[in-house]
Amino acid sequence: MPIRARLGAALIACTALLPLRARADEPKAFQFALQNGMQVLVVPDHRAPVVTHMLWFKVGAVDDPPGISGLAHFFEHMMFRGTKQVPGDSFSTTIARNGGVDNAQTTHDSTVFYEQIAKDRLPLAMQLEADRMVNLDLSDSNVTTERNVVSEERRMRIDNNPQSLLGEQMSAALYLSHPYGRPVIGWMEEIQHIDKNAARDFYKHHYAPNNAILVLAGDITPDEARKDAQAAYGKVPARELAPRWDFAQPPRLGETRMTVVRPDVKVPLFARNYRVKSYTEAHPGEAEGLEVLAQLLGGDATGIFYRSLVVDKKLAVDAGASYDGLNRDSGEFDLYAEPRPGVSLDVLERAMDATLADFIRKPIADADFARAKTQLVAGATYRRDNQYAMASAYGQALSIGLTTDDVEEWPSRIRAVTADSVRKAAASLNRREAVTAYLEPFVPLPKPAPRPRAQPKPAGATP
Amino acid sequence: MRLRVTFSAALFAASLCAAPSNAATVKALPAPQGETVWYAEDHSLPMIAMSAAIPAGAAYDPRGKDGLATFAASLLDEGAGDLNSNAFHEALANKAIQLSVTPGRDDMIVSLVTLKENAPDAFRLLGMALSKPHFENEAVNRVRAQMIASIEQNDEEPGDVAAKYFWHAYFGNHPYAHDASGTPQTLNAINQRDLHAFARDHWVRGGLKIAVAGDVTPQQLTQLLDTAFGSLPMKTPPAIPWPGKVGAPGVHIVPMPVPQPTVIFALPGLMRSDKDFLAAYVANYIVGGGGFSSRLTDEVRVKRGLTYDISTSLEAFRRAGVLVGLVATRADAVNQTIAVTRQTLKDFAANGPTDKELQDAKTYLTGSYPLAFQSDAGIAGQLNSFQRIGLPIDYVANRNALMNAVTLADVKRAAARLFDPARMTIVVAGSPVEPKAPPPPSAPVVRPKTGAPARK
Repeated sequence: MPIRARLGAALIACTALLPLRARADEPKAFQFALQNGMQVLVVPDHRAPVVTHMLWFKVGAVDDPPGISGLAHFFEHMMFRGTKQVPGDSFSTTIARNGGVDNAQTTHDSTVFYEQIAKDRLPLAMQLEADRMVNLDLSDSNVTTERNVVSEERRMRIDNNPQSLLGEQMSAALYLSHPYGRPVIGWMEEIQHIDKNAARDFYKHHYAPNNAILVLAGDITPDEARKDAQAAYGKVPARELAPRWDFAQPPRLGETRMTVVRPDVKVPLFARNYRVKSYTEAHPGEAEGLEVLAQLLGGDATGIFYRSLVVDKKLAVDAGASYDGLNRDSGEFDLYAEPRPGVSLDVLERAMDATLADFIRKPIADADFARAKTQLVAGATYRRDNQYAMASAYGQALSIGLTTDDVEEWPSRIRAVTADSVRKAAASLNRREAVTAYLEPFVPLPKPAPRPRAQPKPAGATP
Repeated sequence: MRLRVTFSAALFAASLCAAPSNAATVKALPAPQGETVWYAEDHSLPMIAMSAAIPAGAAYDPRGKDGLATFAASLLDEGAGDLNSNAFHEALANKAIQLSVTPGRDDMIVSLVTLKENAPDAFRLLGMALSKPHFENEAVNRVRAQMIASIEQNDEEPGDVAAKYFWHAYFGNHPYAHDASGTPQTLNAINQRDLHAFARDHWVRGGLKIAVAGDVTPQQLTQLLDTAFGSLPMKTPPAIPWPGKVGAPGVHIVPMPVPQPTVIFALPGLMRSDKDFLAAYVANYIVGGGGFSSRLTDEVRVKRGLTYDISTSLEAFRRAGVLVGLVATRADAVNQTIAVTRQTLKDFAANGPTDKELQDAKTYLTGSYPLAFQSDAGIAGQLNSFQRIGLPIDYVANRNALMNAVTLADVKRAAARLFDPARMTIVVAGSPVEPKAPPPPSAPVVRPKTGAPARK
């Protein structure tokens, strides 16, 4: 999908409007495109002589070929394995030698690489990124070693952690055939299927300037950004991209219930995930309604679930809700609660459903409603204190097809949410199409517990 | 290589050390009661961030009441003055005031982030929380249940299990040894009286260290700080004792059924006041602190694919320094990972860094310094961390010059002092096994690294 080169000519005009010592109430991003189709976004913040350079590629785990889940994430790792001119791990060591930090992240929809570095070293970071966008060294030995690294990453993040395993199972059930149901890091068995050819094809089909969004946040003006971006990325040719599949999101016609019982679980957990509209799918105000709903129900200790289940009924040690709407396809609304000792997950689930039903039936208290909005809007202000968070907000929005307006107008859209739309959002959560899960400890028949072989016995250790 | 670094290291560092921030200069506020107050005034955003350290960390937990400091800290927003728990939470949330507490071993670190317009409320609420805490029964019981659930959940995680065992094994009977979050038994033994006594004795003005950044003038700040800390008792908690012999050299195994054991490896570090501390800091960066630039990452992850992450850090507590390393690997690679780690440290202790490694470390450590000064919250946190380890205010400006003055001989000396594998305390949480298949080659074929001599 070619990216339309727009706003290029508007740059000079924008520059004239740039508030030099920004004290504007709303942040402003400046946007243009290079001739090869690369989109560029600039978010000036001149408080420290530092720039956050973020390169978003519109490729993620949804683009993993069948049978090779985890390829997009694996490929993110390969981007640090060197090129002919910047061999081995020289990418990161060069950034570090110049006082910068770098890393990367893969989601279902996108892959992002970032560096934070002194302003005068930004051109160097850009040259390094432009180099690895086209010149990666994909030799066999690199692929084999990195596959082992990714397997260790999977063990650390998922296999060692029962909550993560539960989440993986729930997603697999929730999305039916849609690839949001496959883990970003990949199934262990399929990670082992990754080879040099798969990596090379993936690179060729997805890594190109016309599939990238560059976000520069920090001590840089739009003029400087244009000059630097043109110098580093301008000469990288656009390439024909593999089309992204338009995956069906089959309707869910029933509830899925699962109970995961494992010996490594110490604290039980109730969780329920609903598929809901994302920001890209929703009608105006709909996603914002879900956002306010999540804050009201489960934002913090003033949230309705916490008050009802933790403070009043004393059934849970923690309870909350969250909305994830920044996706190309479906959004997700999640509930969770951890029971107090002796409380069954069944009792907890029924109490949570009763609280939700009660919320839908009654008018929302004005103070609660105002508080939820205040917190969300203030969060956007606090975000401006952080280059990384600002660059992420814009980059993520653009990578899934939203616009800078969607980012900049978000606080006023949150303020405009009505109590009615929040109740509607709550009523749209349909348990009979959701995934409900219990995580429970495996309790073996009583026998003497084995003592740790460790020695010497540490003072005061728990027996 | 086409991409050349066009500035000399020294020039680059010099251009940055004078001004880690474009907008803010760090100044001290005269504090009549002997507190340390630094601030960086910057009106770019309408917000204020504060980080304050109160000497009320877990090292002050009375015997048998492990977790008391953390328990008290966790109750900081659970009711004070004329507000009960719910009303206090609402008072913060209604104004989007972010109050958070990190209970450490030496200090309780309180962070406050507020919009400028709500600053008077934010600092007043903090003042109430510190000087008039309720510790009412409902909140105490609820938070205790949460802490116990969290301890039990940590018992699922090999990293947490290894850490808990490690601190016990390393510090023996010293107050740094026990788990800062306590145990279910000790938490159940703590009552309201204990909590009140702890707050009375430890939430005090003596030894208070405060750093603030953002949209505030010194006059306004003086007033705000007075509302937050002015009514605390003017006393200083007793000093934490010095540890005697530390460390428990050898490999300790805490068996648990996980696919990937976690390994903690540790050595005695240096006190922050030690004249070799900065050299040791550089040495740690080269060995394990520098991510992809570190020798351990190169040997264990890049060359052998044994782990996703291996790192070391030099911890400076008030009464001890420890170098702590962390790595996780599959059960049949634990022994190989430990062997490679030992060998890497041994080489480094014997030979120290190359000149190039030293230069690279210094350009990173000086060049990345301004990254800590990008945001109000970042500035407050960074300044407070300097205050906590007793550094003077001019360290903010001099830090890069001091770092640049570290020589190769300094780092070699520090390396020889630090990296003695025979003194290493190693804790494995998980159940390591010997590999079944023929073992992976111990010296795999690797590309030579430009500019660095062969390391084997």
